[in-house]
Amino acid sequence: MSPQPQAAVGAPLSRVDGRLKVTGKAVYAAEHDVDGAVHAVIVDASIGRGRITSVDTGDAEKHPGVLRVISHRNAPKLPYRDNAGSNNPPGRRLRVFQDDRVLFHGQPVAVVVATTLEAAQHGASLVKVRYDAEKSSTDLHEAEPGRPTDYARGDAEAGLRSSAVRLDLTYQLARNHHNPMEPHATIARWDGDKLTVWDKTQWVMGTHDELAAVFDLPAESVRVINPFVGGGFGSGLRCWPHTVVAALAARETKRPVKLVLSRKQMYFGAGFRPSYEYRLRLGSDRRGRLAAAVHDIDAETSSYETFTEAVMGAGQMLYSMPNVSQAYRQVPLDVNTPIWMRGPGFASASFVIESAMDELAHELGIDPIELRRRNEPREDESSNLPFSTRQLRECYTVGAREFGWQARSSRPRARREGDWLIGLGMAAGVYDCGRFPAEARARLDADGTAVVEAATSDMGPGTYTSQTQVAADALGLSMRTVTFRLGDSLYPPTSPHGGSATMASVGSAVVDACDQVRQQAIKLAVEDRESPLYRVDAGDVVVRGGRLHVQGNPARGETYRSLLARNDRSHLEARGNYAGAPSPARRSYFAYNATFAEVAVDAALGLVRVRRMLGVYDAGRIISPKLADSQALGGIVGGIGTALLEHTVTDHRDGRIVNANLADYLVPVNADVPEVRAIYLDGEDNDGNALGVKGLGEVVQVGVAAAIGNAVFNATGRRVRELPITAEALL
Amino acid sequence: MSTELPESAVPPPTGAGESSPAPTRRTFIATSTAVGGAVVAGGVIGGTSFIGPEEATAADGPPSSRVSLTVNGTRRTVTADNRTSLLDLLREHFGLTGSKKGCNAGACGACTVLVDGHRVNACLTLAVRLEGTEVTTIEGLATRGELHPLQQAFIDEDAFQCGYCTPGQILSGVGCIQEGHTDSPEEIREWMSGNICRCGCYVKIVRAVESTAGRK
Repeated sequence: MSPQPQAAVGAPLSRVDGRLKVTGKAVYAAEHDVDGAVHAVIVDASIGRGRITSVDTGDAEKHPGVLRVISHRNAPKLPYRDNAGSNNPPGRRLRVFQDDRVLFHGQPVAVVVATTLEAAQHGASLVKVRYDAEKSSTDLHEAEPGRPTDYARGDAEAGLRSSAVRLDLTYQLARNHHNPMEPHATIARWDGDKLTVWDKTQWVMGTHDELAAVFDLPAESVRVINPFVGGGFGSGLRCWPHTVVAALAARETKRPVKLVLSRKQMYFGAGFRPSYEYRLRLGSDRRGRLAAAVHDIDAETSSYETFTEAVMGAGQMLYSMPNVSQAYRQVPLDVNTPIWMRGPGFASASFVIESAMDELAHELGIDPIELRRRNEPREDESSNLPFSTRQLRECYTVGAREFGWQARSSRPRARREGDWLIGLGMAAGVYDCGRFPAEARARLDADGTAVVEAATSDMGPGTYTSQTQVAADALGLSMRTVTFRLGDSLYPPTSPHGGSATMASVGSAVVDACDQVRQQAIKLAVEDRESPLYRVDAGDVVVRGGRLHVQGNPARGETYRSLLARNDRSHLEARGNYAGAPSPARRSYFAYNATFAEVAVDAALGLVRVRRMLGVYDAGRIISPKLADSQALGGIVGGIGTALLEHTVTDHRDGRIVNANLADYLVPVNADVPEVRAIYLDGEDNDGNALGVKGLGEVVQVGVAAAIGNAVFNATGRRVRELPITAEALL
Repeated sequence: MSTELPESAVPPPTGAGESSPAPTRRTFIATSTAVGGAVVAGGVIGGTSFIGPEEATAADGPPSSRVSLTVNGTRRTVTADNRTSLLDLLREHFGLTGSKKGCNAGACGACTVLVDGHRVNACLTLAVRLEGTEVTTIEGLATRGELHPLQQAFIDEDAFQCGYCTPGQILSGVGCIQEGHTDSPEEIREWMSGNICRCGCYVKIVRAVESTAGRK
């Protein structure tokens, strides 16, 4: 088979859905026009743990417009079948309105359905719930951890003892909430025994399967639709209780029901990045060669599910060292269950490891980049596999040059501009990009246009655009003649839209489907006596701009349109498939970055301002450069939030989140983000995917917080081992 | 202005035989707005009622008021529940879902629209206060299919990802340009900081506003 010319892939194109998004015509979950929809508002538990003793719905039911109040007192029993293969962590998932138990502050205890939003909101405020409250446990530092997950190679304690230089550092990482701009929302409608939901989700099939399990429905009786997702960052990776509440309310009221979480409810109605206490002991020789690391990692989880993320990965393979031991312990608390957030696990671990590397560099008087170079591994020491590609050294080189790293003084507090202390910092980043099973369908119509479909999502990275680019080149069509559709469980199934896996996974399935369609057309042509391509070797035919021709001889050929018309074919169609990562793994497949930060810290007030940032990425082949650039800048902005602003604060007396809003939970705003730049290194990584990609949505946030923290140290000489780094900590 | 509540604007009864509870913040807003609004009416009077007939009667309907406003050049007269925000009026009743609800508390800017040419948070603005005003939403920014220059600049600069904050950013940007707060990137950043973009497209939003302002 001749390689298809690549016209769209790699071109800096604007988004194919851009016009819809700038005109307000992109339709998000709560905006679908579902005839007769009524409104539902959830009543949240106001205690941190205990039992419901009474639910007084009298006033709410009398409120004009209120149709029904549902709680555990009157809700039907729901089957809640097991849902193997879901993103539900081990444990017993929250079952809405099935008993009187309250497991965390904010748990749904009732729902009010009304004809107007105003009536539903007011009605919810009129429901009087009384409780028998128990003492809740929400403090990571006060509770008993569960059984650890361990990793060991060599003898880390012995390695530490014999090290010339030893560091013993404990870091605290705040809980972060994804806070996508679109709140989670569901519209649910029953047509007899068939359920349709319009739902904000990053995994159409996951929500589909969970609803089928909860209501014990056959798979074909559930349909999930979400053409646009207003941000996710991981918060949409599993089906949350409110989606079940909406479906239940619709069934009970026999009306379509729209349920939108308030911003406040987003803090307990969906998951979060858990807080951590992370102790790292590091040993090296005087030249900076690492000998041993001991990681003691405690993280939040809920009392009813054990949430796990890849917080151990970076410590096992980022740097070369003979001795590593890790213990990762989840601490069950009276909170809702966490969920993966951008760069899950790696972003948290990298703050610790990369801050500690900076501390070690300072201790030894070695440049931080040089220290990292001295510990660059030859292979992945956690798996003993060769790296598929690893251009981390090049990331350092390019980053140092482009950022002006040589201007950095190794002595803290060396640079001052008026009241401001100026510092430079850097960090390495790594992420284990996912490759998950996916399918796609491609159809070429007689008019020479094509439609490609997969049940994936686009939460913002530009799935619509990048998959159209991939499909256009594989079919030999222009961008404007290809339509990519997603966000419907009727399309071929895919895995979650997360873990930086969508391009490698869905993209590979799209290529497979489009390759098959193109080959069907070529076969049709070379076997057709009336085609100019008759008896040409099929391997010598390429397609460009909708026209099949002999490679190197564009004159000999014909268009898809003429071929299909002459052969009386309305369309050609194929289903593509991608099996997922190679098993067993033959290569160590990770994306990398080096991130650089310059900060200014007010010497008197402790204010930290980021002045400029640069990320240099080894993320494989870049399909859509314009969009990839945006994604990287966005990852850096997210990292600025983690480093300096974001902190979900819980009142441990009753488990209430005290800053459950966007005025008190601070996220970066425009004034927090000055000059930010991204550079993608050239390269392809073909381990297990023909596109040569590695995924980039996660790695762009990994290391950002450490780079900023290290810059703050360089500016001030103060090492803050707690995120976020606040003015108070620097005073 | 009288502070006496007309009977028709008293909040719905809380149940016979029960002493009247202290007003909650919401009932306070509902009743005080009824007084402050241009028209105080019991139940639904005329106009385009968006309350279903079976649910809204003069006897048990919520306090509501008639309001006439112009939205994207079209004059509309409605009877609105006094509790209805401009944002909910647009999204739930006019089907203009381009204005987004991000926080419903004036903290994120996703709901930004222009009222008489000034940018406001539609979630913090009660609909019945808008008698005689002109409202411009994202749906009204393009003229005869031609995008507003700032809409085009957002596409060209790739100044968005998920797109949910985008209508608010664009309307805020139009306001920012009209106000003349575009002399430098620093000034734009400051005056565009009421609009959160969680995807983190700020650098490109500033470029889009700057390039559009420069064309004027």
